[in-house]
Amino acid sequence: MSSSIGEKCTKIKQEYDSCFNSWYSERFLKGDASPMCDDLFFKYKDCLLKTLEEKKLDTLLADARKENPFPNTSTSSSSSSSTESGKKE
Amino acid sequence: MVKFYQHTFSFEHAWDNVTYAFWLRYPNPFASHVIGCDVIDRHVDPDTGVLRTTRLIHKQGVMPRWGRHLIKNADAYIVEESEVDPKTQTMVTRTKNLNHVRVMQVEETLTFTVHPENPKWTQVKTEARIVSEMRWGLTGRVENFGITKFMDNSVRARKGMAHILERLRHNAALAG
Repeated sequence: MSSSIGEKCTKIKQEYDSCFNSWYSERFLKGDASPMCDDLFFKYKDCLLKTLEEKKLDTLLADARKENPFPNTSTSSSSSSSTESGKKE
Repeated sequence: MVKFYQHTFSFEHAWDNVTYAFWLRYPNPFASHVIGCDVIDRHVDPDTGVLRTTRLIHKQGVMPRWGRHLIKNADAYIVEESEVDPKTQTMVTRTKNLNHVRVMQVEETLTFTVHPENPKWTQVKTEARIVSEMRWGLTGRVENFGITKFMDNSVRARKGMAHILERLRHNAALAG
């Protein structure tokens, strides 16, 4: 399993990764999407967010994520339809 | 200036295994430049059942001699957004570099689907866009370097995935 960008987060990251790998192969792909690794993920993310701040990667990342990478999927359809209704007004 | 690249290839492995291998692909012997990989965000869309993930990948690159004054710090960060739809058996991943974007921005989209002619195989479509905003007559050179490097990296990425897939197949054979 790969290391975390923040050295101190690697242990919790790898615990989370093992949990996710089992969830993905044994549940998600078999049609069960109920969560299994949330507690581990929150702990891991806590550690990671501090690292991203320390390395000043948080703003860089936020900027890059402003753009929707999947403009054709459902999540973006609400925003595109609001643009359409905006045009009509 | 923008350059486009498109390519389709197949893995002789089932879609489930290929998408699973995607999460496991670091570390592998063909990606020694990858130092770290983190999950920034992950959730299942309650309406569609699609798994959405954002990961941040830390790579240590090597610049050619003529590029060293452009990029002093060879650390590169890549953001990877992905969607897995288990119902339609489609995985789409989109990656782009976060830093050094003025020198070169590489956006790559991979689409993993069940192979149309063999349901036990997986087809992968690669689409990439390489953009450089440099204006000192270096743009063409940067982009040509970018596309060559990108193709080398694609080959290495495929080898890395194939390596992980073989390992999974081996483990499954042992377990079975």
